[in-house]
Amino acid sequence: MNKKYNITVNGTSYAVEVEEVGGAPVVTSAAPAPAAPAPAPAASAAPAALTAPAAAPADTVSVGASVVEAPMPGTILDIKVAPGQVVNAGDTLLILEAMKMENEIVAPEAGTVNAVLTSKGMQVNAGDPLVSLT
Amino acid sequence: MTNEKSEALRKNKAEIALGGGQKRIDKQHESGKLTARERLELFFDKGTFTEIDVFVSHRSSNFDMPNVHAPGDGVVSGYGNVNGRLVFAYAQDFTVLGGSLGEYHAEKIVKTQKMALKMGAPIVGMNDSGGARIQEGVNALSGYGKIFYNNTIASGVVPQISVIMGPCAGGAVYSPAITDFIFMVDGTSKMFITGPQVIKAVTGEDVSDETLGGAMTHNSVSGVAHFIGKDDEDTIAQVKDLLSYLPSNNLEVAPQRQASDDVNRLIPELNDIIPESPNKGYDVYDVVKAIADDGRYLDVAKHYAKNIVTCFIRLAGSTVGVIANQPKVAAGCLDINASDKAARFVRRCDAFNIPLLNIVDVPGFLPGVGQETGGIIRHGAKLLYAYCEATVPKVTMILRKAYGGAYIAMCNKELGADLVFAWPSAEIAVMGADGAANIVFRKDIKNADDPIAKRAEKVAEYEEKFNNPYRAAEMGYVEDIIEPSQSRQRLVGAFDMLESKRESLPAKKHGNIPL
Repeated sequence: MNKKYNITVNGTSYAVEVEEVGGAPVVTSAAPAPAAPAPAPAASAAPAALTAPAAAPADTVSVGASVVEAPMPGTILDIKVAPGQVVNAGDTLLILEAMKMENEIVAPEAGTVNAVLTSKGMQVNAGDPLVSLT
Repeated sequence: MTNEKSEALRKNKAEIALGGGQKRIDKQHESGKLTARERLELFFDKGTFTEIDVFVSHRSSNFDMPNVHAPGDGVVSGYGNVNGRLVFAYAQDFTVLGGSLGEYHAEKIVKTQKMALKMGAPIVGMNDSGGARIQEGVNALSGYGKIFYNNTIASGVVPQISVIMGPCAGGAVYSPAITDFIFMVDGTSKMFITGPQVIKAVTGEDVSDETLGGAMTHNSVSGVAHFIGKDDEDTIAQVKDLLSYLPSNNLEVAPQRQASDDVNRLIPELNDIIPESPNKGYDVYDVVKAIADDGRYLDVAKHYAKNIVTCFIRLAGSTVGVIANQPKVAAGCLDINASDKAARFVRRCDAFNIPLLNIVDVPGFLPGVGQETGGIIRHGAKLLYAYCEATVPKVTMILRKAYGGAYIAMCNKELGADLVFAWPSAEIAVMGADGAANIVFRKDIKNADDPIAKRAEKVAEYEEKFNNPYRAAEMGYVEDIIEPSQSRQRLVGAFDMLESKRESLPAKKHGNIPL
């Protein structure tokens, strides 16, 4: 199954299509996404950076996997991180407005922001990928 | 002569104490697990553990079983003191036939269950078993059935706690599932009905056993387990802490702990905890900690449905169960999982005479197709039902939003709250001012020369008239509006007054909670 993502790398937006490949899970909670290279400004690097989290079929992504998803439907009010940024567990990644409340979406674990998969003002549904972390 | 016999007895017991032998004990240690006896020794106060049915073994004559030696039939059971109080426990011994459950293994567990019930003492089961002992066939299944039956009979009479410290698969999972609390040890415990191999064969899905049934999966995704421990020691320490909040049975109240914390302590910081903007969240744990004796609380199902907090605290030394909306997570809304989590908690507390404190800041039920088709109606109904049915003292404290059906579902006056307090920041209304003004003043707004200005005016009007606790207080739906800083003082006083509360439901077999 192909999935489409809008990826912002250093402020430039790229539309990326990622093919989901079956097989052994790539992502584990202990050592997330070892294959992901550091994000580079080149457009070709962006899909590569995404391959690791997206390649694992949804059924095998373990708990604490590296894609942070929207917990509820709402609007992205603000994005607090940029690709390449190092975050600690509990750091605010973005603000999701839902139920007339500003909900802080926080990093579930420490890591580096691999890609921001949404943009300010975007409407999201529960389960939509927001930020990928490595 | 006597000495010889005593000597033989000691030797016999020492052999049984070794379970499956030193080699298997070493293996158990290598995999990061303690043995059944080590776990029980750690759990009970030093020197108080008394084993029963030490010499019980299997009687199976199938296959090679007559030649198989199974000390204790793979389970160690007995009783002892935990912080000075009687508790029953059994621990499956993985070193003996993989802790597999045979006929007599089950009989030992059932005997322990029956004794706990008769003596009115909590029972703790430590699970570490490969499952049913296949050689014993249907006798093993019969054993599981008996355990489930006694779990159910004991439910609501004595606290039942399950600790998963190894594999727990297939039918075996249903004994823990029936009990009141499930602990899992991170890394070494697994729970599933069918394992990864069977799933692969049947549905083709690839999944690791940790992802499928590991401690964090069940604590955060499935909601099956309520606590997670780093290792055996940490987990057992948590079980003991939980027991300190619970009574021994449904006729007693939880043990009183000498409180050093001043019952009249004021909490000035609570006056400023609600953000200026109604759109901003805050951490409700800060409120819980500020109110509780010594700032201590024990979170139940901490990692699951984090938009609602369920925890035990002590107020003036007595256990209180707290259900609090968490504005910091998913706006603190009620959804399917939050309703299930809170409803279960309310019933645990009611069963064991633990008063309820409901801390309310809820914007409503979460809208969405997924919620509606997932059955939020019947799941939300559980919470309302549980609150209505609970006869323990119920105190509701409204901090901010209390809108619509969710206001009722968080135990308002009519669901049986004995006392309702509201902070001055409370907004008790059918809905938020924005939505309400749009409906109530639709014509005014539509016909106005400047609809936008008119709407703003009407929103402000609605806010002033209804988004406060005074209307509800005038009708007696709220007993008093209190200063946040006085919350602890007022709650301690309220629960003190309610201590002698007696309320009984009409005689019936049982209600029909919408499960």
